[in-house]
Amino acid sequence: MREKSTTLYIGPQHPGITGNMMVKLQVEGDTVVKAETHVGYLHRGFEKLMERRNWLQSFTIVCRICVPEPDPNEENYARAVEEIEGREVPERAKYIRVMTLELARIASYLLWYGGQAGSAGLYTMPQWSVGDRNYILDLFEDLTGGRIYHMYIWPGGVRRDLPKGFKDKALKTMDYLEKRIDEYDKLLFENSIFQKRAKGVGIIDKNKAIEWGVVGAPLRGCGIKSDVRIDDPYEVYDKLDFEVPAMEGGDVWTRALIRRFEIRQSINIVRQTLEKMPGGEFYNKIPNPMKWKIPAGDAYVKTESARGEFAYYVVSDGTNKPRRVHVKGPAYVHGVTLLENLLVGENISDVSFIMNSLGTCPPEIER
Amino acid sequence: MAYDNNSQKIVDYIQNFARKHSLFVLAYGTGCGAIEIPPTMTSRYDAERFGIRGAATPRQADVLLITGYLATKTLKRVIRTYEQMQDPKYVIAFGSCTINGGMYWDSYNTINMLDKYIPVDVYINGCMPRPEAVISGFVKLQDEIQAGRADGWKKYQDNLEEYRANQKKIIKNWTMPDFNW
Amino acid sequence: MTDTLNKENKLLEVLKEEFKLLSGKVKRSRRVEVVIENEQIIPILLFAKERLNYIHFSHMSCVDWIEEGKFEVIYILWSPEEKINLLIKTKVAREGEDLPNIDFIWRQANTYEREIREMYGLPFDGLVGREEFILEDWDEIPPMRRDFITNEYVSETYFEREGREDAKDVREQILGRTDEKLPDFAKKYSRD
Repeated sequence: MREKSTTLYIGPQHPGITGNMMVKLQVEGDTVVKAETHVGYLHRGFEKLMERRNWLQSFTIVCRICVPEPDPNEENYARAVEEIEGREVPERAKYIRVMTLELARIASYLLWYGGQAGSAGLYTMPQWSVGDRNYILDLFEDLTGGRIYHMYIWPGGVRRDLPKGFKDKALKTMDYLEKRIDEYDKLLFENSIFQKRAKGVGIIDKNKAIEWGVVGAPLRGCGIKSDVRIDDPYEVYDKLDFEVPAMEGGDVWTRALIRRFEIRQSINIVRQTLEKMPGGEFYNKIPNPMKWKIPAGDAYVKTESARGEFAYYVVSDGTNKPRRVHVKGPAYVHGVTLLENLLVGENISDVSFIMNSLGTCPPEIER
Repeated sequence: MAYDNNSQKIVDYIQNFARKHSLFVLAYGTGCGAIEIPPTMTSRYDAERFGIRGAATPRQADVLLITGYLATKTLKRVIRTYEQMQDPKYVIAFGSCTINGGMYWDSYNTINMLDKYIPVDVYINGCMPRPEAVISGFVKLQDEIQAGRADGWKKYQDNLEEYRANQKKIIKNWTMPDFNW
Repeated sequence: MTDTLNKENKLLEVLKEEFKLLSGKVKRSRRVEVVIENEQIIPILLFAKERLNYIHFSHMSCVDWIEEGKFEVIYILWSPEEKINLLIKTKVAREGEDLPNIDFIWRQANTYEREIREMYGLPFDGLVGREEFILEDWDEIPPMRRDFITNEYVSETYFEREGREDAKDVREQILGRTDEKLPDFAKKYSRD
């Protein structure tokens, strides 16, 4: 007999939801038969606000688009402006940028560890990983002055040089985190609850993944080696030595493993940038920001963030304000079409589990 | 026992003492400030030392933490959530954008002054406020509760019409049930 | 330089043979840009997807060129094999014209189209899905159009706290006061 179907709203006020959004589910018994994402609870109209601000003022608000990992936004915006204007960036600034991006990636993954384990009911994990994330935020505080919003990577280079003693402190933190990853394994990946919950849940079809617009760790979790750092190298990634893990499977478990391996790679990249960093200038000075005009043109740039490809499409009309800055975060596809399709046939209790593994972040969807 | 002034004071003191040491915060991240809540709650800053912990539903929560800017779409849900909470209830507004709009003062979709729509007991400024600032804001709220000054919920009952007029100015399609306590 | 842009130039040649392009250029390595008439959108997208293997739909954007009375819509595709981003641009009138719906080619295009429809008021022929995507009960002109002035709307709708004047240019006021001098660094960064 067919069970009666019920409408169930998850969010916006729900402890399991990732951010401020809502998923409207049609359920039969415990099984989801239809899902619909509702967003717009965080819409601030960034792209409208940037039409009113000049190029440097816009730089201060782009980082607020993605809260867990603001640096890819700054880097993207800076690189797009540089590409349109043809501004050179000093080599040292490029290394500092890569280091900042990788630190941000580690911080974002540590937060994800907490969210993923928390949504399976393992509350020790957030206590550990979010606590350890503070060490990276301390590094950011030394480097940029801010814990969450750094406003550090700007057109022409970076805002400050490395402070005194930063290198030693960063290397020490990296050593500490590398040791901690093994302990996380014991807590999370060897936990039979997590294994049973994660294996075989939320499977993305490998053959359709690229066509559906899947990017980042979920795509690599399908066994497809795709990473903007390798496919479309930016800054100095082509001079660094690192691997991009890819594994067959496509479920929550594989995506979790991919992220676990990527933390190690990021730690490796941070070490390399600190070793190879050349001396010299860190900033190619821009003219008076009030009168700073960018020649007409457009640029499409992208960065690999912790959740996937982050892309900016920037258009200039030759004035001192951007004509259009369009931001596309990975969650724009992951959180809407992909999530709506993945949830069908899954258990209600796995909804927030799958959302966490896709890294759904609503501020990117509505901006 | 005769209800004289002095014994009322003692009862109030005990009530306030109990209230201030168990603040259940509603787990509703309305804006980007929600990112500093996990660090505040976990090992390094450990807000549970002060009796601050999360609650899943509005009916069980004492404190509504507005973490950052409010889009008009969220404002509707926040008002509904606030009205569902049981008295006594307190509101902490978090971040510069709740005070005067902050970065988004000219955005068409975010409100600028939160205290025109729901009463606010404590403001924490900054973008983003650090976990220390969040804890200091909570301690300030505890002091206010002990002194009996955190009476935003009474203000809301007394000036409901004024608040309602402000809310309805923004929320055009008002489909929520009437507030009665 | 020409050697390194081989595959980009080749792609441009193929597209030039097959379609009547209004213009086309290689922007830099891994970026190729073509401009077409808006009747040719579906043919060129299908050609790119089926024949050239541009199977990843990266991005879709819209720019309001109010001076010309046109919207410019940009479709950005990515080929995982060639590793090239193909930017396909087209222009459509701000009022009275519509674009074809492409969510049968890539279903995630549905999200982009719904957003553009809501934010710019640009209709897509045959697009289904909820009318409201991001905004709720919006009855002004679509907010991303250039003729929507956001700060005027804000001053009409929301309250402004006193002391917010610091967001305005107060340098003229300071100059008008006695005993107060405008610091040198402030003069340097004049707004005009």
